[in-house]
Amino acid sequence: MFVLLNHLQRLRRATPPSPVRARGSLAVRHVDAGSCNGCEHELAAATNPFYDLQQYGLNVVASPRHADVLLVTGAITTRMAGPLRTAYEAMPEPRLVAALGDCALGCNLLGDQAELAGPLEAILPVDLRIPGCPPTPKAIAQALTAALHRLATD
Amino acid sequence: MSTPRDASGRMPGVAEIRAVPAAAWRRACLDAHAHGERFGGLFSHLPASGPPRLRAVFSTPAGERLITCEATEGAVETIVDVIPAAGWDEREAHDLHAISFIGHEPLRPLIDHHAPLEAWTVPTVGEDVHQVAVGPIHAGVIESGHFRFHVVGERILHLDVRLSYKRRGLETAAAGRSLGDGIAYAQRACAACAVTNTVAYAQACEAALGLQPDDHLRRARTVLLELERVYNHLNDISAICAGVGFAPGAMAYAALKERAQRLNERLAWHRFLFDTVSVGRSAISFDRQEAADARRELAAIGQEHQLVWRDLRFVSSLQERLEGVATLSAADAERLGAVGPAARASGLRDDHRIHSPHLSYSGFSVAVAEAASGDVAARTNQRALELHQSLELLDDLLTQPLEPGTVRRCGEEASTAVGRVESPRGVTVCVVVREGDRLAALHLRTGSYANWPVLAHAVVGELLPDFPLINKSFELCYACADR
Repeated sequence: MFVLLNHLQRLRRATPPSPVRARGSLAVRHVDAGSCNGCEHELAAATNPFYDLQQYGLNVVASPRHADVLLVTGAITTRMAGPLRTAYEAMPEPRLVAALGDCALGCNLLGDQAELAGPLEAILPVDLRIPGCPPTPKAIAQALTAALHRLATD
Repeated sequence: MSTPRDASGRMPGVAEIRAVPAAAWRRACLDAHAHGERFGGLFSHLPASGPPRLRAVFSTPAGERLITCEATEGAVETIVDVIPAAGWDEREAHDLHAISFIGHEPLRPLIDHHAPLEAWTVPTVGEDVHQVAVGPIHAGVIESGHFRFHVVGERILHLDVRLSYKRRGLETAAAGRSLGDGIAYAQRACAACAVTNTVAYAQACEAALGLQPDDHLRRARTVLLELERVYNHLNDISAICAGVGFAPGAMAYAALKERAQRLNERLAWHRFLFDTVSVGRSAISFDRQEAADARRELAAIGQEHQLVWRDLRFVSSLQERLEGVATLSAADAERLGAVGPAARASGLRDDHRIHSPHLSYSGFSVAVAEAASGDVAARTNQRALELHQSLELLDDLLTQPLEPGTVRRCGEEASTAVGRVESPRGVTVCVVVREGDRLAALHLRTGSYANWPVLAHAVVGELLPDFPLINKSFELCYACADR
């Protein structure tokens, strides 16, 4: 395992840190409300050694009860609108809602209208918008660290 | 380059249609099965007028057969007793269009979320049996779906899977669009299988239009399919390491996946290779320099993978967590219609790439490990084996620049055709029914859809806390299955 750990250490040292640094932290709860799985891949990629969101105080937490931000992906299907509201209601105040990706933002939606309840704006108040199809991990990392910076300096 | 035709002179992909009365549905399907034709999906469709229509796809290496019938009385006899792989298909057809499958008892709801719990779960009784409900929202960054575990202590007695939370009705919405526009719906079904789904769609459309791709187009699509496989397999090995909490392995492979996706972006302007496949033409090309750069980067990814993989093989705390977990026997894999790396890890020598005349897979041979033990360890090793194979294929395909490809007319037009492509998760079947230039119906049955019931079978008798690991060893998409 020495080779592996050494390798990760080299990778870490070779990766430039994010220019935005803020004190504090944000706990993020993700809800997939009908995505194509692209936003999930990229959100997970934002925690890989190249972007390393945790290093900047951004953590994906298991429960909405521990979360500051509800990060929502997908077209908001009629079947996920209910669970999404339940997750939002479980969050403590103050809470933020982020729309991740073009589907959640209501852009270029494909699908049967009978199956769709979105965009996210129609269901919950949206505070943060991260466009892209899907947004790159770089864009996700920048948007979230910038939001943390704003909150910390307000 | 000419395309081989089957005995009846049909183009590959053009389905031989056998329309039968509802009363003869079961017999027709079982006859095809008895002749060794492989079941590829059962679909129901509600036309603008008339009763719902059922379609079942069967294939042999020589060609595709589509058995169709009108469910005039709203009922046909089931085939699930002989072809268990059709279980989810029949349940879905029942939920969508109220078609009864006589003999499929009980016909539990699959995508109907209004059904009460007792209707869609299997009753389990006995001392200490209880249910654990998980989802639709999961603890990590995972797609939405609901699992109902019936457990005794920590051991899983039975699992009922309820997906469709992400159902966007893509197939319904695609109906009536032009064949060219319809590809967007196939692409949006799933990001991680976007190339597979769009190539399967494009192949079906081209077969229906009597077109066949030239060598450039075949090579372009093969390159894209293998690039998709590379980043998916890297992702899956990372996910399996994460499934047992082995962070160094998870991070090393997440970094490799990132490099593979950055390469995708450099080559095709998109990390998931979106919009690189079109009907009747290729949407990408690259020059000698770009091909050489890609080859170099893939070689570097391959070397780093070898380095890390060798290290992982000697981490006993990881390996011992993978061995003997959720073993799927070859007989069960065959019986349940398992596909892809999961089936091959159980020893099934089955990879649709060897039957792909419209792609550049000449000389391809199916990779099956000697110790195809069918457990999580075997599924992990299978990924590494296929990753190596895909990197070699790409190394070969990228020795020349990629010129814009096109199609040639070479056959009659047909109303119905089937596209079949091996995705990172197994063979994906796309059925296109056209009326002129419009889509009358689109059906997509992905490798994930085929393997979800197999996963539910594989977890029986395993420990509940091992479920995330077992799930990741299959790494099925929810989006693909929900559509």
